[in-house]
Amino acid sequence: MEVFGNLLTGFEVVFQPTNLLYVFVGVLIGTVIGVLPGLGPTATIALLLPLTYTIPPEAAIIMLAGIYYGSMYGGTITSVLLQLPGEAASVVTALDGYQMARQGRAGPALGIAAIGSFIGGTVSVVGLTLFAPLMASVALRFGPPEFTALTVLGILLVTYLGTKSFAKSLITAGFGLLLATVGQDPVAGTARFTFGVQDLISGLDFIAIAMGLFGVGEILYNLEKENGASMVSSRISHIWPTMRDWAQSRGAILRGSVLGFFIGVLPGGGGVVSSLASYAMEKRRAREPQRFGKGAIEGVAGPETANNASSTSAFIPLLTLGIPSNVVLALLFGALLLQGITPGPQLISENPEIFWGVIASMYVGNLILLILNIPLVGVFVQLLRVRAGILAPIALMVTMVGVFSVNNNVFDMWVVLVFGVLGYVMRKTGFEPGPLVLAFVLGAIMERSFRQSLLISNGDPFIFFTRPISGTILGLVVLIIAISAFQFFKRRRATVTDELDDEVQR
Amino acid sequence: MTLTKRGSFLLLLGTLAVLLASCSGGGGGGGGGSAESAEEYPSDTITMLVPYTAGGPTDLAARSVATCFEGEFGQTLVVDNRPGAGGALAMNELINSEADGYTIKVIAAPATVITPYVEENVTYTEDDFVTIGVITEIPSVLAVSSASEYEMAEEFFDAAQANPGALNVGVPGATTSQSIELQRLAEEYGVQVTTVPFNGNAELTAALLGNNVDAIFVNASEDILDYFESGEFRPLAVSPAERVEYLPDVPTLRELGYETLTYSTSIFGLAAPSGTPPEIVSTLEDTLSTCLEDPQVREQLGENYVPDEFVGSEELRRRLDEIVSVYKPVVTS
Repeated sequence: MEVFGNLLTGFEVVFQPTNLLYVFVGVLIGTVIGVLPGLGPTATIALLLPLTYTIPPEAAIIMLAGIYYGSMYGGTITSVLLQLPGEAASVVTALDGYQMARQGRAGPALGIAAIGSFIGGTVSVVGLTLFAPLMASVALRFGPPEFTALTVLGILLVTYLGTKSFAKSLITAGFGLLLATVGQDPVAGTARFTFGVQDLISGLDFIAIAMGLFGVGEILYNLEKENGASMVSSRISHIWPTMRDWAQSRGAILRGSVLGFFIGVLPGGGGVVSSLASYAMEKRRAREPQRFGKGAIEGVAGPETANNASSTSAFIPLLTLGIPSNVVLALLFGALLLQGITPGPQLISENPEIFWGVIASMYVGNLILLILNIPLVGVFVQLLRVRAGILAPIALMVTMVGVFSVNNNVFDMWVVLVFGVLGYVMRKTGFEPGPLVLAFVLGAIMERSFRQSLLISNGDPFIFFTRPISGTILGLVVLIIAISAFQFFKRRRATVTDELDDEVQR
Repeated sequence: MTLTKRGSFLLLLGTLAVLLASCSGGGGGGGGGSAESAEEYPSDTITMLVPYTAGGPTDLAARSVATCFEGEFGQTLVVDNRPGAGGALAMNELINSEADGYTIKVIAAPATVITPYVEENVTYTEDDFVTIGVITEIPSVLAVSSASEYEMAEEFFDAAQANPGALNVGVPGATTSQSIELQRLAEEYGVQVTTVPFNGNAELTAALLGNNVDAIFVNASEDILDYFESGEFRPLAVSPAERVEYLPDVPTLRELGYETLTYSTSIFGLAAPSGTPPEIVSTLEDTLSTCLEDPQVREQLGENYVPDEFVGSEELRRRLDEIVSVYKPVVTS
């Protein structure tokens, strides 16, 4: 089998001692920032991005990927112990996980989450191993019209799924698209919306925007919040789930793995959407749905499995098409560009060490996480004692130095500060920065491929509908809009998130 | 009387100039002492501005030259990456630095000389810098996929002529030499293709592999030559006035009857701020010439792309002037 030979190449990359260290460092940082409330994977990767270009590209991407799926483990810990999700994908874990902790069953909750995450991550990386090369082989059929359609679908799903207010997400995504138009026109080459500022001719720097919105915005926002290490009272014991726990969650873990894998492939699907979907599925399937919200172990096992599975499969569109499916992957996209590597259909043939290296690193990373998490939960909890007042200034310093080092341009530091304040204000007013950043990245691809398509078709817009792949994707877009409009009028209720929010409130 | 008066006036002016120069030198905190004589050059760290991000092909080329310069000069060379605005940010940095030879810059023609005419906010001109010499020149090549029905350049151009705008040709960017050259092909010879700008070579080759464009017109860099080697792409024509030795069977556009289409070559060279003492410029020129003979440097830059005969300061200036005279009317129209 060719796949195994290739995978072996990947393991050769991973088992180089320095790369092994980067996997370890990545998943460790991921777990730590997953524990620290507020500082999620997006902010961390945004902060570390400029530092990564001093190391080889495969090491950089292996480490950043480790942070991403590592944070999925770490986020669980605070969700269960404090009802305080360390990162968004663990929001739903707080429902039953915290109830279990109150019943003195924090240990099994964390144990099953770690085991589920491991299984979900591994199942998904096996899927990635088999599916990604297939996808890469058809990826060359994706021309400008297909990229246009994909970016439309991506922006639609990101604004529609996993956000609290569709209207607000749409506004922020629109703003992101507008920001993407600043700079040289992709076809005419002339500058637009630069207001005479030469630094804007090549457009706003994606890294500066992301570091501002997520990094600085997050730091400012967290300074307002009280930190609650004192709330961790009970000692955690009996991490290993009992036979009964295992019997109850086995199905949830298996379903979560598969569900998470498929949702992760969709644009906007990684992380929070998959965990919400898994929770909803388990609740619907349960013989006694009333147990949910009162400490049902499958309500922890399913979502935790699904979010890990989805964060792994989310790499498929990035590695094969060069389309980031969520914000974290948009940052990884930026990290690769920073290294002079354009993710896309040729990545698998031109940079196999990166393609297979990152896949192989996930097998190793998930194992390290399982080993780290089961015995060390108690240690990670102590991290909650770190005060935001200490963390914040250090993080801010790293941000400013980091962003300057990318382009050696002071202008980018101002961009970070402006977007930092914007990010803070957005969070205070309930606007999420995620859709903005993703729309900014996808917007540039969308505009270029839209105009390339029209050049190729001599101005005929039917090129988007007559080509089978782009036609199908656009059909899906229409279908999603139709279904959501129908549901809106039927239920007058916006999204699943709202319901779940209500449940958290209760 | 008048003579002495004028003499002392000149002396005063001279002293003032030296004072001013040394003041701004100290205030700028740039390279090194500016009042020193050209004989002592170089006696301090030299900064090499690179208008591209670190890690890209141009940056790597610049770094291999920089390493050789360090060896020749016995001084540290700092590579300072200033990407953005089509190289204008790095150029501004160069122009605003002391003209003492301690700040030099990698220039990339035609972008360096064309950007001020494309972007109205870019205000430098080609007179704001002095040329040192050419590092590499990479010609352009018109290529189709091996499955294409066009075996020869003539067939391709005949088809383009018969059906204006029907053939799509991908180029690596909107204001690249390739895009301008295709515009000239339409304006001067009435051969009209649809130019589709992509973002760099990776996207462009994917578009040709996926048959989304009929042909590409692109720098004949190593990655493209690999596709010729593997048989996935077929070269139809090259852009320089003479054939290139690594594609000996591929005709030039000039041979094909497009006499004036000989400028689509990416030239990478070195420049210093105008006003840099001629002796220093010639020291830099000689050092570059020496470095380009170093087998290790040649290998890092790509043996194919280092000119066989060194192209020095004057010749590079002449070429840039020629590019401006040919391309300016096209981009400003």
